[in-house]
Amino acid sequence: MRRNAHPKTVHTADDRSVDGDGEVHSDVAGLQRAVPRRGRRAGRLRLYGRMAVNDVARNRVITAALVVLMLLSVLLGAASTGTLVRLVGASSDLLARADAPHVAQLHAGEFDQDELDRWVAGRPEVDHQQTMLLLGIDGANLSFAGQPQTESIQQNSLVVPSTERDLLLDLDNRPITQVEPGTIVPPVYHERQSGLEVGDVVTITGPDSYAKDLTVAGFARDSIMNPAIASSKRLAVAAEDLEQVRAHTGAEERLLAFWLEDPAAQTAAFQKAYQDAGLPQAGPMVDAATFRLLTMIGDGMVAAVVILVAALLLVVAVLCVRFSFLTAVEQDYREIGVLKAIGVAPRDVRRIYLTKYALLAGVATLLGLGGGLALTPLLTRNIAHYMGSATGSWVWIAPVLAAVLILAVLVLFLLVLLRRFDRISAVTALRAGATSQPRRARLRLHRSRLPVQFRLAAMDVVGRWPVYVLLFVVFAVSSFIMIVPVNSATTATAPGFVNYMGIGSVDVRIDLRHDGPTTMADVDDIVDRLESDPSAEVVAATVTTRNDTVDRDGVATSLYTANGDHTLLPLTYAEGRAPTDGSEIALSLLALHESGREVGDRLPVTVDGEIVELLIVGSYQDITNGGRTAQSVLPTDGAEVVWSTIGVQLATGTDATTAARDYGERFAPARAAAIGQWQNQTLGPVVDQLQVAAGVAVLVALALAVLMTALFVRMLLARDAGPIAIQRAIGTDDAGLRRQYLSRVLLVLVLGVVVGTTAANNLGEAMFNLMFEAMFGGFDVLFQGTSQIDFVVDPLLAYLLLPLALLVAVATATVASSRSIATASIASLTTE
Amino acid sequence: MTTPTAAATAVLDARGLTKDFDGHTVLDDVDLQVREGAFIAVMGPSGSGKSTLLYNISGLDTMTAGDVRFAGERLGSMSQKQLARLRLTTMGFIFQHVYLLKNLNLLDNVVLPAYLAGLAPRGELNERALTLMARVGVVDLADRDVTEASGGQLQRIGICRALINQPRILLGDEPTGALDSVAAAEIMDILGQLNEEGTTIMLVTHDPSVAARTSRVLYLIDGRIVGDRDQGRFLGTGLEQRHRDLTAWLLAQGA
Repeated sequence: MRRNAHPKTVHTADDRSVDGDGEVHSDVAGLQRAVPRRGRRAGRLRLYGRMAVNDVARNRVITAALVVLMLLSVLLGAASTGTLVRLVGASSDLLARADAPHVAQLHAGEFDQDELDRWVAGRPEVDHQQTMLLLGIDGANLSFAGQPQTESIQQNSLVVPSTERDLLLDLDNRPITQVEPGTIVPPVYHERQSGLEVGDVVTITGPDSYAKDLTVAGFARDSIMNPAIASSKRLAVAAEDLEQVRAHTGAEERLLAFWLEDPAAQTAAFQKAYQDAGLPQAGPMVDAATFRLLTMIGDGMVAAVVILVAALLLVVAVLCVRFSFLTAVEQDYREIGVLKAIGVAPRDVRRIYLTKYALLAGVATLLGLGGGLALTPLLTRNIAHYMGSATGSWVWIAPVLAAVLILAVLVLFLLVLLRRFDRISAVTALRAGATSQPRRARLRLHRSRLPVQFRLAAMDVVGRWPVYVLLFVVFAVSSFIMIVPVNSATTATAPGFVNYMGIGSVDVRIDLRHDGPTTMADVDDIVDRLESDPSAEVVAATVTTRNDTVDRDGVATSLYTANGDHTLLPLTYAEGRAPTDGSEIALSLLALHESGREVGDRLPVTVDGEIVELLIVGSYQDITNGGRTAQSVLPTDGAEVVWSTIGVQLATGTDATTAARDYGERFAPARAAAIGQWQNQTLGPVVDQLQVAAGVAVLVALALAVLMTALFVRMLLARDAGPIAIQRAIGTDDAGLRRQYLSRVLLVLVLGVVVGTTAANNLGEAMFNLMFEAMFGGFDVLFQGTSQIDFVVDPLLAYLLLPLALLVAVATATVASSRSIATASIASLTTE
Repeated sequence: MTTPTAAATAVLDARGLTKDFDGHTVLDDVDLQVREGAFIAVMGPSGSGKSTLLYNISGLDTMTAGDVRFAGERLGSMSQKQLARLRLTTMGFIFQHVYLLKNLNLLDNVVLPAYLAGLAPRGELNERALTLMARVGVVDLADRDVTEASGGQLQRIGICRALINQPRILLGDEPTGALDSVAAAEIMDILGQLNEEGTTIMLVTHDPSVAARTSRVLYLIDGRIVGDRDQGRFLGTGLEQRHRDLTAWLLAQGA
């Protein structure tokens, strides 16, 4: 026997790669037997396939987790794309089937159809005009199945459905042209939000104990007033019922609908011409683009969030593929060397690995696409109910394209990764048996006072940080997707949020629509009565007028200006201050953006028929009235008055809800709402969706963190088989090793949570503002700073409970996954 | 000259030690006593169960049957945690490939078991590690990384790590197997000196020239001790003769 001669492979002194593994050698042997067949392509491919299958079988858990991750990414990507396509399709379909108007003007008060007809006759771009009578029923006079609607901010109106255009559709998207007397067809909104069912009784009451019962015969889709955010609702009844109710109660309003020859080109000019003509305009004017935006915003936001989550998952999946790939290569390093040594071309070695991951990605894509297509109908249930189902081939093509795109990203990434193979030389692979270049230890154990396992954990995380990047990104992403929706929901429900709704710190808000010269007297009367009421401490009335102004391009446009003393109940100004007289004006951020001016500039505004240059003294956030509002102290005796708002700050100890109910009864038909309630109802659907999104996001984030931690820890243990065996041999107990691995994961978790939370508070806040910008300004004003909402953070939730939940989930996953530490043995490292 | 005169108590007492693996008996009813101060080589062909014997008497592996007492304590009745503690404080291990942790520098590798045991203040442990390293001639390397030392130097570091907790026994699995003959001889000189000073040592080896330097040689075939040769303490001279005698003996055992 020769000294030092060892029958096996050559080792360096610090070699600790897994060796003596039966499987490894049988693979190599199999390959060597296969060498003579190298020229035969089919045989080779079979071999690569078999190696891939063997590898999958060897790392079942890791493979499964990787597939799940890719699958989820494809699933969410396909489902959200499908949702968006269906949303766009269904809303277009609804608008088309209902023949929705291109421009609609609501008008309350005096109305002369002949005058309008004469004007229309002189406008060649108007294809058609239709007027519909809306009989507004005050919430106090309306009850659904015995539930009074006093607290609803929806303006409910009875209508006789049109038979030609601007149709109401039934749930099969067929026009409702006829409603049986004694029945009523409310919009889908009331089925979903007010809990009405077919067969329920809607009761309308009036003075002199008038009561009219109507039975719900079905529900209608209303192309222009479908969503909650459009605060008017049309309830279809028979003509005779409408006339009967009209004799007793109700505020008349007309919906003047216009169809244009070329809506894309003519809408803006038409709206301007209409307003200039002094035609009936006591109410808001909206166009088809707005209907569409309002219709799509809620579900569109959800779909956008899901797309974002899918993209984040794709990033994690890509990192995970990288980590898993490097682990596999590290484990198979010597085999790769053997393959190269026996003359297999690098291209073919690459193919072995490509086969494996491409198979996995392919399987994940197919399953994910199937899941996504199955999930889409669930996600679009709401859309389908409000708008009907979209049809057409894009509903199927788009999710497939999304899945193919994700697969392409994964495969491209793999190809980039696989280029590494060319850098492995046969000799170094056989000798070194490890891919990672050892780097100099940076921290010193012997200079530390920390507990040994914790110190070792810190040293490993610092010394091998690239290994931990995957986990770090996962934790940062998890905290981000947990905190952003939660903070968004917290912000939108925070009491201070009314500041962004163009309202100062009021407790009760009273709204009064103008429908004649008497309304101003009503406002004064209400203010007088409130001022003598001890429960009301501060009363501030504003009268909103519509004034003409010009936008940045010099095109005339109109602006809702609230006039009154804005210093009584001030709101928070983004810049500047409240206007104090008729020469000054404050603009909402969106209005300011559209005017193309800045605070300190002058804005031409038409007041009483004359153009006045007003000084812009302030800007503020407003998300009401489309986000385009102004504040000033202009004269309010002209015809431009649209509505009045009275803000009340209550004396301490007065309950806002009670006071609002009391005012509502005393000052009818003015509508009074406690500010929290008003905020809730105005933002309600958005907040609901945010809260659902927040709940789902927390669950998704926790699931992602748990899955990835389990996967990562298992892969790390596989990689660290050597060091673990060494530590056990020198007397480290399993509990100590588990503590070390737990410390590593938790250290990375702390870093990830800090970064994720910081990003959530900055980037997340920006995203939240973008959402509002898109909601109120459309896509044109994105990134223009028209929404400047600061996140309201609930520190207990965002900084303690959520990170704690993540910590518990991650720690549990780590402990559960590190049970296999006990199987790592020095015996498996030694060549017997 | 059979055994050391002082403290002739058994550090290790194994009876009926049996290990089955996948229905195959790797160790078959082995009886073995190791006295305090002994210097033992375990030899045998590949697959004879040499390393398995080492792992079973140290609690790294779980025996199938038998009774092993280490310093009077029954291994079979100890928990994994107690076994780990036993290895940490009373046994020192050296391996063929040393198995140092790459992310620690050499001094850190030596102090790690001491820190884990926590039996003395860390400053004192650092001192002890440097003293040991100075003794085996590698104190200059204290601040180097694992990749910045030769195989022989690394094995000396391995010996320091094994001795840092002042173990009752030093167990070696082919400690010279990956070294050239000069480095191997130096390591054996160090081990011989340690044994002179009272350290109990048990080595698994293929190499008769290593075994020739020990005082007792066990020969294993198919999991049984087929030969047990007491060759007297190594005195530093007559190595050639001892080597020849041992080789003759090994041939007689069927090697």
